[in-house]
Amino acid sequence: MGYTITEKILARVSGQGPVKAGDEVMAKPDFVIAYDFPGYTDVYFKQMKEDFGIDRVSEPDRYAIFIDHMVPATTPKEEELHIGTRQWCAENGVALYERRGIGHQVAAEVGYATPGAFVVHFDGHISQLGTFGTLAMGIRRNLLEAFVRERISIKVPQTVRVNLRGTLRKGVMARDVFHHLVRTLGPASCRFQVLELGGPALSQISTEGLQTITGLAMFTGAITAIVNPDAERLAYALPRAKKAIEPVYSDPDAEYAAVHDVDLTDLEPLVVIPPTPANSRNLSDFLGLEINAGYLGSCASGRLEDLRVAAKVLQGRQVKPGFQLNVVPTSQEIMAAAGREGLISTLAEAGAFISSPSCDYCFGRIATMTANQRAVSTGTLNVRGRMGSPDSEIYLCNAATVAATAIEGAIADPRKYL
Amino acid sequence: MALTTLRGRVAFIFDEENFDVDQIVGVKNIKITDVEELAKVAMLSYDPEFHAKVRKGDILVGAHNFGYGHPHYPPMRAMRHLGVAGVVAESFSPGYWRGEISMGFPQASCPGILGLVERWDDIEVDFDANEVRNLTRGRSLPMEPLSFADRSMLDAGGLVPYLKRSAAGAQPAAPAGSAPAESRNA
Repeated sequence: MGYTITEKILARVSGQGPVKAGDEVMAKPDFVIAYDFPGYTDVYFKQMKEDFGIDRVSEPDRYAIFIDHMVPATTPKEEELHIGTRQWCAENGVALYERRGIGHQVAAEVGYATPGAFVVHFDGHISQLGTFGTLAMGIRRNLLEAFVRERISIKVPQTVRVNLRGTLRKGVMARDVFHHLVRTLGPASCRFQVLELGGPALSQISTEGLQTITGLAMFTGAITAIVNPDAERLAYALPRAKKAIEPVYSDPDAEYAAVHDVDLTDLEPLVVIPPTPANSRNLSDFLGLEINAGYLGSCASGRLEDLRVAAKVLQGRQVKPGFQLNVVPTSQEIMAAAGREGLISTLAEAGAFISSPSCDYCFGRIATMTANQRAVSTGTLNVRGRMGSPDSEIYLCNAATVAATAIEGAIADPRKYL
Repeated sequence: MALTTLRGRVAFIFDEENFDVDQIVGVKNIKITDVEELAKVAMLSYDPEFHAKVRKGDILVGAHNFGYGHPHYPPMRAMRHLGVAGVVAESFSPGYWRGEISMGFPQASCPGILGLVERWDDIEVDFDANEVRNLTRGRSLPMEPLSFADRSMLDAGGLVPYLKRSAAGAQPAAPAGSAPAESRNA
């Protein structure tokens, strides 16, 4: 029996020969990533010193900190948190990426998505580095372990293999593919396992689209998602890679907990209705539902293909008066590229409110909704209160649908505008 | 301190699959940090008398994929403050599981638990025999064994004491393949 890409990566970082799903190992992450957030990084920095007597991390190149939440700060307390983070990074010689964009995207841009690397974060959306054959897991507060010692305890997970086939239709995006997986496989289908994507249709999905799919893996119950990187993904990741690691791939006879074939040919645009990411529905069943706001952004969207499709929908049209459309490119690199392509001007002329990169729209820290308001969103999540009042509602959908909905002020099918 | 067998009443059964634990305190209260305040609002929409009925050592029971969504820590902080000693569910969502184990809060995955117990039954959760016993009705079910690391963390009482037990830099012994083959973590 062969090995999965996940088993191979964990074998390397546990330094003890081959490992199989179910083994418990002590693994040394190649990179330890976090964004500054109250209750997480500030607590780690304090606990390192006070509970463990560690003044500095021993290999600063393994660590990276992002300031992407509470950007820009709106209270002195938030800015104090950022100051503490800047000081800690300076004292420790740890790389700090501030105001560069949403960390999970910037991590890929600057080379932490090294194919074959093992990466940990407290936030599960780091799984999107799996696009490049990187094994990246969110381990919540357990990330402290990676701050106070070299290795972390981990059980080698089983893998669920999903082979995608067929051809995506116009107006159907990677976002729909992910929510289709949740609908067909179930929100618990990959619990405690790795979602490994493959199959003949994978090459049709753009690198940006794959970042969306792998970044949302947690809503299938998976602890992360990964692909065996093809030439396109490697061409992006290898020149930026922070570390020289030989990429690895699943063996043809690797052992999987389950193998599913998913045909994308007849897939329609979807919408995920509140209050849980388990609620995938056909967009066509919700057309005409009145909507007040739209959010195009987050670590699960806001990339060039999302901005392009929104600009195409909105070209020469106008956001409906009274509708609040917020467009937030996911990184400075993406925003600059969108500017060069003319996407920013198209969106601005259509009436979109365009912000520099920030995580803050996704969790309602800004553009906060009040009771009885309703949004369409490419954000990560639609649980109650995620974008403001617990009595507001979030309908998750692809970027084209957000743009079409902004024109009509009601859930709209983007395909007529494409 | 080590993890011992839990013995208590089933204080509540969350029979909804993919249960979002934030609902226990309500999303509008999720930012409350004072545990007394959190405990006051906990369970109001499920059983307004819960505070009066619950007592130290009681256990919560959940359905499949308990803790799905975007779980925060305050709901279970409130539950622990009210005396709840642990959670037994058909299965758990990994983010929730990891978060609560790191708080030192015992969680047990027991397929079939919803058919084994009714509210207020007396039950035992035995982490050594890997068995959940319904003392009221005289029946039992196997539960899934904890992984070595999860067991060690619960034995220590949570993440920080667990890490302190092994001096910084030192590694606990966890030989590859030490876990039973059927162990699935949850």
